[in-house]
Amino acid sequence: MTTRPIREKLKRFGFGPVSRRRTEWLVSLPTVVWLSLFVVVPTLLVFVVAFRPANPYGGIGRGWTLETLRGLAAPGLLTIAWRTLWMSLLTTVISLLLALPAGYTIARAPARWRNRLLLLVIIPFWTSFLVRVFAWKALLHPEGPVKRALAALGLVGPQATLLYHPAAVVLVMVYTFLPFTILPIYAAAEKFDFRLIEAARDLGASPFRAFRKVFLPGIRAGVVTAVLVVFVPSLGSYIIPDLVGGPSGEMIGNKIAQRVFTDRNLPLASALSAVLVLAVLAPLAAILALQRKGKKSGIVIGEAP
Amino acid sequence: MKRSRFPIVVTVLVLAFLYLPILILVVNSFNPARFSGRWEGFSLVWYARLFQSPEIWQAVRNTLIIAVSVTAVSIVLGTMAAYALHRWAASRLQHVHYTMIYQPLVVPEILMGISLLMAFVAVGLPLGLFTIFLAHVTFCVSYVAMTVLGRLQDFDFSVIEAARDLGASPWQSTRRILLPMLMPGIVSGALLAFTLSVDDFVITFFVAGPGSTTLPLRIYSMIKYGAPPLINALSTLLLAVTLTAVLLSQRLANKKGQES
Amino acid sequence: MPEFLEFRGVAKRFGAIQAVDDVSLEIRKGEFFSLLGPSGCGKTTMLRLAAGFEQPDAGRVFLDGRDITGLPPDKRKVNTIFQSYALFPHMTVRDNIGFGPAIARRPKAEIRTEVDRMLELIRMADQADKKPGQLSGGQKQRVAVARALVNKPDVLLLDEPLAALDLKLRQKMLIELDLIHDQVGITFLYVTHDQAEAMSLSDRIAVMNGGRIEQVGAPAEIYESPRTSFVAAFIGDTNFLEGRVRSCLEADYCRLAIDGLPEVVSFNDKGLRPDQPIYLSVRPEKIHISHDRPEDKPKRNFVPGVVEDVIYLGSNTKYWVRAGGRRIQALRQHDRYFLDEKPIRWQDECWIWWHADDGFMLDHFRRDDEALLAAPPQRVGD
Repeated sequence: MTTRPIREKLKRFGFGPVSRRRTEWLVSLPTVVWLSLFVVVPTLLVFVVAFRPANPYGGIGRGWTLETLRGLAAPGLLTIAWRTLWMSLLTTVISLLLALPAGYTIARAPARWRNRLLLLVIIPFWTSFLVRVFAWKALLHPEGPVKRALAALGLVGPQATLLYHPAAVVLVMVYTFLPFTILPIYAAAEKFDFRLIEAARDLGASPFRAFRKVFLPGIRAGVVTAVLVVFVPSLGSYIIPDLVGGPSGEMIGNKIAQRVFTDRNLPLASALSAVLVLAVLAPLAAILALQRKGKKSGIVIGEAP
Repeated sequence: MKRSRFPIVVTVLVLAFLYLPILILVVNSFNPARFSGRWEGFSLVWYARLFQSPEIWQAVRNTLIIAVSVTAVSIVLGTMAAYALHRWAASRLQHVHYTMIYQPLVVPEILMGISLLMAFVAVGLPLGLFTIFLAHVTFCVSYVAMTVLGRLQDFDFSVIEAARDLGASPWQSTRRILLPMLMPGIVSGALLAFTLSVDDFVITFFVAGPGSTTLPLRIYSMIKYGAPPLINALSTLLLAVTLTAVLLSQRLANKKGQES
Repeated sequence: MPEFLEFRGVAKRFGAIQAVDDVSLEIRKGEFFSLLGPSGCGKTTMLRLAAGFEQPDAGRVFLDGRDITGLPPDKRKVNTIFQSYALFPHMTVRDNIGFGPAIARRPKAEIRTEVDRMLELIRMADQADKKPGQLSGGQKQRVAVARALVNKPDVLLLDEPLAALDLKLRQKMLIELDLIHDQVGITFLYVTHDQAEAMSLSDRIAVMNGGRIEQVGAPAEIYESPRTSFVAAFIGDTNFLEGRVRSCLEADYCRLAIDGLPEVVSFNDKGLRPDQPIYLSVRPEKIHISHDRPEDKPKRNFVPGVVEDVIYLGSNTKYWVRAGGRRIQALRQHDRYFLDEKPIRWQDECWIWWHADDGFMLDHFRRDDEALLAAPPQRVGD
């Protein structure tokens, strides 16, 4: 009976004699096929194209080459990769520092207020991303209100530019990702038993110490999710550095877009993307492991309120 | 016990940080000055200009065509996917399925944009509204699936058995029991898909072709190549639309919540 | 009476667990039949096999002489009351009850009168337009009953329908279910882990354990003459005494040798011969207890002992008596506790006795079933 083990294996993957299995396949198949075609295959394609030469018409040439990968070692690209990393980290840290007290406050607010505060956090998420970036571009503009206010206070000289600087990129990234950071923190804090903090205070801990030793470990899953939902998209940022960053605030995303739109070098763009894929894969694996473990905790990224 | 005020102060500052830029933008949309630094009195001049701009209306049309079709397709696919993920949660197939659904939610948009572009170029599909539609469905399905899945978490499947028990066929129990009960989740999933499709820039930017300019693409080129006051006006209109939609859906959700 | 719902050699396995293990069972028309057993004994699986939610791995299910084994739930004339009630939350009470007739495409007017009749039966005519979310537990339960009965099923399947209710309500619904059964005359198959429910409602009970049926019979039959140690211990409380037959007496009695006890006389309806091992079950309420040595009478077994534990329960008191190296539980009903009875207290020397007809020989004994007995309280350092 050589067919036995194979049949067992197929059964575990959902092929089986029972009609329930057939129903499962019928219901799952549309998305499985769709996502295979438009997510899995294209992602693999990125890795393949990185080994193809470019052709002069902006397409993909024949044959195989390692030339593109060698091109990645260019000093300019390394600088940008490094910058992408530290700007993303900085964004993550700042977002978290703001989101922790905010998530805590919302979770502890009385029920009536809780929903309103939550709505206030969520509304920016529903508004156009480009509009939010543009709002900052206008604010930081040399003729804009922030610059004028700072100049009036004598904090910056009349020639200073607030735009086109890494700091501007980090500021706008924090601004756009902050709601995504607050939501998982809030979701975890809402399930936290706040009597534990009272117990810690009762046992002599200062408010800050109780926060750090009792609250933070209690909402660890939420914090991890929050870190990942900021850090991963930050790595792939493109519009924000493009609109407020200028040459000194460029990130990997800009390089990828330039290879596609400016020089039409798809293999090089692919190679850069492949690096980015590998960079986000590590935190991604962590996120999935966490989600599996804590599916019950209800922390789902981007889930609607 | 006295609670520390520090978290509350930070929360207030965070909310101010979130809303001030938007508020200034809205105010400036009524300011006739070319640069936003000086207030020159209330005016609707930028709104008037906006309504005379045919490219914007063309972009709005494209955006709506895509958003409506994307929403329709992704609620069907997403609801089926969520049902499968929940009903057969223990099976291997669903583990693979879940990982696939999850990927578009966490992978940076630019990666999705470039990989889709590669795929379309590789098979020689001409870039345009259709490729944008394919790309948008790909990420919207995941969001719809997750939203409906959330609704399914506390779904008591014995009601389906009850319907079968009372003589309903599999199809009748799906149509008369399962779908109506999932409707709030499907509606908020649809709302989310619609908003995401209308708002998407990065992925669209990669897979758009000539003549398929959507509203975000139009706004981007306006930001990049001048006309800031026009964007103020356009942004204010967009804000008004989304805000109304969010508040309406919130009110609907509250009403539903009180009923059951 | 002919069998109406019949299971013939059915078996069902879930992964490593054999939920139902080669069970044959016949339920008569119009009967209130209970499947009683601890959780995981396979009783709910039996019900789901009857409803068509599960298909047996082996064996067949017959309804009114017809083989219904392969039929889906919607093609069977049986209806279920779910433990969670499974009311449709988005429909009114009226639409919930009318769901079955509407699916069957019966005329609108007919559905209306039928639903009204059911609302009358469950006394909820004034709640017809409410949604399930607005009802109390007991009301939901009644709607679930009406929603099933309106289809005039051949068999009504009830899956622990009272488990979600609190005690007082449960007692009320118990009477109500009984009344409904009398009124509609439909066969009820009732699944429960609560022996009191099963006892008070059923015409017959099947006691299940580990996927098998231990005993089928009328409630009194099951209680008074349990065939296995499981049935004896799961339903009510008992004392197990093990020993062997010493000699047979005339008229179906025999003498038993039981370790540590004087010779015991017992009814022997099993035709046991000398030297055969026996397991005797004696219910606590059949064992009398007193300070004084009881009168010596034929067929009366008595043993001296010391009271080790006392639990006063108001209407009666439980005693654990150390006698001949074993603990025997006795139960005493009270008349005038202080005046006439001279309460028996902890550490008192006492006598316990029972009649030879009150001990019951088991066909089958498992050591594990002793764990089901009300655990004698253990003292520190005991």
